[in-house]
Amino acid sequence: MNAKHVLKLSILGLCGMATLAFAPGLISSASAHGERSQEPFLRMRTVNWYDTQWVGKSTAINDIAYLKGSFHLSEDWPRAVVKPERTFLNVGSPSSVFVRLSSKMNGTPMFNSGPLEIGRDYTYEVKLKARLPGHHHIHPMLAVEKAGPVAGPGGWMDITGRYEDFVNPVKTLTGETFDSETMGSMTGIMWHVFWISIGIFWVAWFAIRPMYLVRARVLAAYGDEILLDPIDRKVGIAVLLFTLVVVLVGYLAAEGRHPVSVPLQAGETKIKPLPIKPNPFSVEVTHAEYDVPGRALRLVLHATNNGTEPVTIGEFTTAGIRFLNKTGQQRNLDPEYPAELVAQEGLTSDHDGPINPGETVDIHVESKDVLWEVQRLVDILHDPDQRFAGLLMTFTDSGDRLINSISAPVIPVFTKLGM
Amino acid sequence: MFRTDEIIKASKLPPEGVAMSRHIDYIYFVPILFVTIVGTFHMHTALLCGDWDFWLDWKDRQWWPIVTPVATITFCAALQYYNWVNYRQPFGATLCILALGFGKWVAVYTSWWWWSNYPPNFVMPATLIPSALVLDIVLLLTRNWTLTAVIGAWMYAALFYPSNWPIFAYSHTPLVVDGALLSWADYMGFMYVRTGTPEYIRMIEVGSLRTFGGHSTMISAFFAAFASSLMYILWWQFGKFFCTSYFYLTDDRQRTTKVHDVFAYATLAHGDKAKLSGGKA
Repeated sequence: MNAKHVLKLSILGLCGMATLAFAPGLISSASAHGERSQEPFLRMRTVNWYDTQWVGKSTAINDIAYLKGSFHLSEDWPRAVVKPERTFLNVGSPSSVFVRLSSKMNGTPMFNSGPLEIGRDYTYEVKLKARLPGHHHIHPMLAVEKAGPVAGPGGWMDITGRYEDFVNPVKTLTGETFDSETMGSMTGIMWHVFWISIGIFWVAWFAIRPMYLVRARVLAAYGDEILLDPIDRKVGIAVLLFTLVVVLVGYLAAEGRHPVSVPLQAGETKIKPLPIKPNPFSVEVTHAEYDVPGRALRLVLHATNNGTEPVTIGEFTTAGIRFLNKTGQQRNLDPEYPAELVAQEGLTSDHDGPINPGETVDIHVESKDVLWEVQRLVDILHDPDQRFAGLLMTFTDSGDRLINSISAPVIPVFTKLGM
Repeated sequence: MFRTDEIIKASKLPPEGVAMSRHIDYIYFVPILFVTIVGTFHMHTALLCGDWDFWLDWKDRQWWPIVTPVATITFCAALQYYNWVNYRQPFGATLCILALGFGKWVAVYTSWWWWSNYPPNFVMPATLIPSALVLDIVLLLTRNWTLTAVIGAWMYAALFYPSNWPIFAYSHTPLVVDGALLSWADYMGFMYVRTGTPEYIRMIEVGSLRTFGGHSTMISAFFAAFASSLMYILWWQFGKFFCTSYFYLTDDRQRTTKVHDVFAYATLAHGDKAKLSGGKA
């Protein structure tokens, strides 16, 4: 190896060291759960989340917070995704920063998984107790067996205080109070330490004498008669009896200490969907295109108002992202909703006024915002099934909100703006 | 108290050879053998019975007592072969389980507590040391691996549930939340959010091993014992396959012989070593 070679290797090594040295400054902590990496067809055409609320955006340790909202299971559920025959309402959070005290869907407690119906609506409420201090990104999440989790919109929740102050006592049916952070820890550790000690004794009993090479030579030369020390058999019998007695006594003592027990509960939660609300407004998508350079989804809607009141389009929401116009902002914008998921004036149409009772119109609606790009929904163009789905929200003069689930194939438009 | 002097004398090693053999014992035993088992066996267990061992709410009476002994008797059998056949040392199973336990507790405190913030009681591992001790002692007393496969392996599996009951009995205490009956383990699994582990992932209380007057655990334990026995035989043979040493020697007449006595290799003259063919020592 000549000097030039050494110099080259040294420079390479220094580059590597420099990369390592600067890496901590370049790497920032993850602030979300990769929901944007989920394919658009999964996010837009399975669970349409709406009215999501993070109640208790800033809590102290031990305080209660809620994650609430609703979702509609899209009628346009993709063929490539397993149907929601076994689902579980989950929370997307960076570890268990909250403990989940209860979870209800349409008012029914959901401790176990269960089937849901496509095309129907569900409300949920998750009761949380603040556990770990920090600035946390929290999502509602519907996990579908064999399809995976479908993350809802994520919002930030702050927890203040010290973890050391966290307590979570729960009363059992036997009248005892268990704290979820500590119950059983010391008993378990004690038993492990005890058995590890016995195990170490057993191995050490043989390890204090020559273990391998010496014995291998003797075994090869003379067989095992010399090696099988009678005292080992005696100690073996003693340890065997001791082990069996301790297991038996431990078992009986545990039975005595906890005489009432139930098996783990492996049932299925049956949840009825919300009743279908009468909706006099009917909408059909006759054409949909995605303008790639313009970052806009353009729809042609064939809409009929069969009701008795005028209705006005206010919002289009898909994948937890909300495109609103002025009506939507005035009627349905929760000021606490994460601003990064809202296009405040992202919804425009060629029919600004209300659609009157009995009127049938063809409306051109455009939902346009950089959010299509930022939230990676533009990746719809790479989907195996290029369709969109979402919820169109309209409002009557008397304040009712009508929700229509819409979907259609999407034609990409690759032309440049102005052409 | 021990036959150590007699054994050393029979080994015909000089004092410096005996001292060196102890150095080899220490270097081989702790940094190599133990750490290797920690890494491999811990990974093997995490892959084959991971969730049952990771989480409190997976420790049911049906699958947990089947999966855990059947998945863990494997390395125990292979290391028993190695330790017993080559050295007549009856601690292969216990050593395996100690190494597994070491790996598990490192994981409990680094992965689960320090990194993921789950309390130790929620991720408390099971103990297999009583089972392993019995397996080793049966081999020592019977000096027969077939009997160990029948008696020891059965006891290995049968002892698993009762030896863990003192650690986990409390987790089957019932409670009612929002009008629903749950065991404490169920509620722990519900309370401590696992974003990537929804409830339906749990493989608990499913299957047909539940027809003995409700005593599913008994049936599971017997089935586990039977399966562990078969697994013991299989992995003993794996141990034999991977731990059998031999070399080929070609003599002056160009006849090649397979030699199993690896100590003979050390006594070969330098010239004879040059005649080795195949290099499969």
